[in-house]
Formats: sequence, structure tokens, C-alpha cells
Amino acid sequence: MSIKIIKQGVLTTLQDLGRNGFRAIGVGTGGAMDLFAASVSNYLAGNDDSNTVIEINYPAAEILFEKDGLVSLAGADFTALVDDKPMPLWSPFIIRKDSVLKFKKPAAGSKVYLAVAGGWPAENWLGSSSTNLHVKAGGYLGRSLCKGDELQFEATSLPMNRQPSWNISQFELDKIYKPANIIRCIRSVEWELMDATSKNNFSQLQFTVSNQSDRMGYRLNGEKLNLSDTIELISSPVDAGTIQLLPDGNVIVLMADHQTTGGYPRIASVIKADLPKFSQLKPGQLVSFQLLEMQAAEEALISMRCLLNEIKYGCHFNFKKHFNID
Amino acid sequence: MLVSFDNIIDKTINEKVIALHQAFAKRFFPGLIETVPAYSSLAVFYDTDVIKKNNPKIKSVFGFVKAFTEQVISGMDDVMIQNDECIISVPVYYNGDDLGAVAASNGITTAELVNIHTEKIYLVFMIGFQPGFAYMGEVDKRIATPRLASPRSKVPAGSVGIAGSQTGIYPFASPGGWKLIGQTPIKIFDVKKSEPCLFKPGDRVKFVSISKTVFKKINEY
Repeated sequence: MSIKIIKQGVLTTLQDLGRNGFRAIGVGTGGAMDLFAASVSNYLAGNDDSNTVIEINYPAAEILFEKDGLVSLAGADFTALVDDKPMPLWSPFIIRKDSVLKFKKPAAGSKVYLAVAGGWPAENWLGSSSTNLHVKAGGYLGRSLCKGDELQFEATSLPMNRQPSWNISQFELDKIYKPANIIRCIRSVEWELMDATSKNNFSQLQFTVSNQSDRMGYRLNGEKLNLSDTIELISSPVDAGTIQLLPDGNVIVLMADHQTTGGYPRIASVIKADLPKFSQLKPGQLVSFQLLEMQAAEEALISMRCLLNEIKYGCHFNFKKHFNID
Repeated sequence: MLVSFDNIIDKTINEKVIALHQAFAKRFFPGLIETVPAYSSLAVFYDTDVIKKNNPKIKSVFGFVKAFTEQVISGMDDVMIQNDECIISVPVYYNGDDLGAVAASNGITTAELVNIHTEKIYLVFMIGFQPGFAYMGEVDKRIATPRLASPRSKVPAGSVGIAGSQTGIYPFASPGGWKLIGQTPIKIFDVKKSEPCLFKPGDRVKFVSISKTVFKKINEY
């Protein structure tokens, strides 16, 4: 025993960066919704970004630690408490044996990632530990963690006498998460099928995240968009970030657990660099889309990866210094 | 990136898509993640960052992938789709809830429907909708049928259905609008296997009618 879920959260799953190579047999990538926060939570805990993390939604699970561990939280601010004392976000901390990690209120964002030094143990399925809820495979028995579930993590030989002090600066976080409500996207395959007013409305108006939003996709409500002509499309591949126009005129943005193919018009795609920010939106929040050209989207992704690399080196440097590892 | 051939369900076009999918499998470059074939389009998934690192001089990663894809396409003029020699046989107990209705609307008996459905060898055009859901075709005109006007909220795993000129099997219980004609006792998608899916795009499939007794004996669900 290492940790035990003592109160069940709404959706608490083990995730990694996702599985590739199986879309052709209908198995999507899955993986953490906010890949930036998931990676950073690992770096903060001295891990590589391929380690398994716990993706926590609100209302969140309460977790009893049955041994000491170096952990980190990154992503949404759910007001984390350990034995009723506030704990930092985007900064690692030592949690003591017999302490309880809980989350008091959702202050900002919708998903927080919990990493532990050494990573969480998880069932690997098709090369990834991501939980595939649909086929019930990977992660922890292919399902959300329930009350009473226990996860063992590797006992660390690190000295746990001093709290670590490194963190990610607001300046760095703002590069990814600000401005929070403006989401950049590129035009997609069926963009030209929309009528002129709808094209204009798409990039001028605001849309509201609907409460019909989950790991498969976020539905948005707003001014209805229309095609110039009715057209029956046959199934074709889609990706995380693909924005489909539904028959009722609303749009859905496909997320990590989306189906691999779809038949609705693909009007645009959220750029990969803005998926972390977009995934942290909550039902009721407003969002507007800003159109970019492909090259700018590529540059944004490359910048995000550069930033992640810098964060990784910084965290690993501090980790080694703190624990006197050469 | 999406390579679109057309927006129709057509065997010749789908064979081009699958041939391109197979050609990509032999032409790996760093940053290529995977290709996904559908009826008449192929998606090429790639890692922008990895490609850029391996080719620092290129201006546009998309342009690089596009040029590579065009090269693959031009190199496969007469390349035919590589089929495994074997035809995958799928046992079906023809007891579906819509069997009678589909037969009646086409003016044939249920026995005739079963004969027509089992007669033909089908091509797996694509897999999508859910893990392992193979869209196969094309069924004989005499058994083609539109989708249900309102989909069922739960279709049992293993259900065999027809939608338009396509036929397919639901690997998992799910909502669904295909007209159900039967049920297979074998697992189409088994998470416990290292190759979980019975089919891949381009495979050939034949249905075999079995009795209720045999169905019960084999039933893997």
C-alpha cells in the first residue's frame, strides 16, 4: 500500500502522453487532456514526461498517503490541502505518511495532475498506461479510481527531511494559459463548406462551453453556424482539437478520448499548442476562436516544446541539487 | 494532414487509400506517427517538433509532409492493395431484431437474406466509430437497407448489422442505428490479445451462418 482513495472523485484516471499506432483499428490516443500540465507535473517530481500521472477532475478524490512521497500538482487550481494546510500548485512538495490530500474548491481550471517521484504504477495496454474507459483497458483496470483503490509507488531512497522549493514561474505559465479565453485554430478540411456569415461568426463571436463536455469532446453553444449547402459526408479521420459542426449548428471540439473517425464537417482545428489551455475550460466559460495559418500553428507548437524542454532541465537540475544527486 | 480522394463509398477508391496506407508503412521517416485510412481519405499523423529537429532547414513542416506524401503517391501508380491470402470467416447466428423487417422491406424471405449476406466476400473499408468497428461492403442491393430512423440506445456486443450498402459488427455494446440481422459469438476486439483487433483495413471477410446451439457453444462474450 502506498496511497488509498478514501473518497471517490467524479473522474480520476491514470494517464500518460497517450498511445500511438492504433488509430487504424479504431483505438484513439487517449492520454492526459492537458499534456503540458501532465508533463510539467512529472518534471517537477524529477520524472521523465512518459511517467504515469493521475488526472483529477472536480469534485476531486481524497487520497490517503500510507508512506512518504515527493509529489507535485500541475494544472487546475482546486485549492489542494494536506491535513488542512494549503499546498502549492506548479511546485513539488513532500507529503508525509498518514496524511490526506484533498481539494477544497475549484478556483481555476478543470483538470489537475498529480505526479509522484518515480511515477505511479499502471497497467500498460498497447504501449501506454492511459486509461481507455471505452474498452476498459490500461491505467487502473481500465477505469476511474474508486473508493478503496490502492496504488503502490516505488519507495524512494531520497532524503525526505527538507521541503523542495523549485517551481514554475507565472511568466512561463502565461505563455501557455493566457489569454485564457482566446483559442487559436487553423481552418480544416470542410471550412469552405460554411456560408460567409458563419465563417465570419466563427472567428468574431464568443461560444459557451456546454455541460455536455467530457474526455471525448467539449460541446460549445452559441450562434448557430451553417453550411452553404447540405452535404452528406462519409466517415473520415479526425484528431484531438478537430472542431466539428453538428447538425444543430453548434460545434464540438474533439478531445483526448474522441472516436478515430467521424462524419460531421470539420470546420477548423484547435492548434496543439492551445489544447492544454482549451482542455482547462469549464462548462459555462466563454471562448473565442482566432484563426491562424498553418506555419504559425507549427511555430506555436515548437515554442511550447522548447518551453517544456527548458522546464524539464530546470526541474531536473533543481531536483538533483536538492537531493545531492550527481 | 488529410489526403482526400473523393467523398464516396467506392471499392476502387478505397483500395487506393489502403494501398497508400500500406505504402506509408514501408516508408518511415522520423516524426511520422501513423496513417489512418477511411473510405476515401487517409490521415497522416506526424510530430511537427520531431520533423523540424530532423530537418532544420525546412520552412513548413506541413509542406515537408505534403511533398513526402506526393512522392509516395507517385511511386505507387500500379501498386495493388496487398491482401493476406486468407479470408476471415465470421460465424453469425442470424437472429437479429431487424432480420424479418429487412427481409420484408426488400421483398425476400429471411432465409434468402441469410443466403445473400453469406454469399459475398466483403472488403474492410475502414475501422472507426469504436475500437474494432469494421465498415465492410458492399452488400448486395437485394439486402441493402437504410439506418433506423431513431437509433437504439443499446446494441449488444457482437451484433451484425446493415446500413445502406455497408455491413458491420459492433465489437462493444453501444448506442447504434444499424439494422441488426444477427450476432457473432466471437470477439471482434479482445483487449487481452497483443493484436486485439480481428480485422485491419483491406482485409476480406466472409460470414458463415451458424445455429443457436453452435452460437451458444462458441459464445465468447
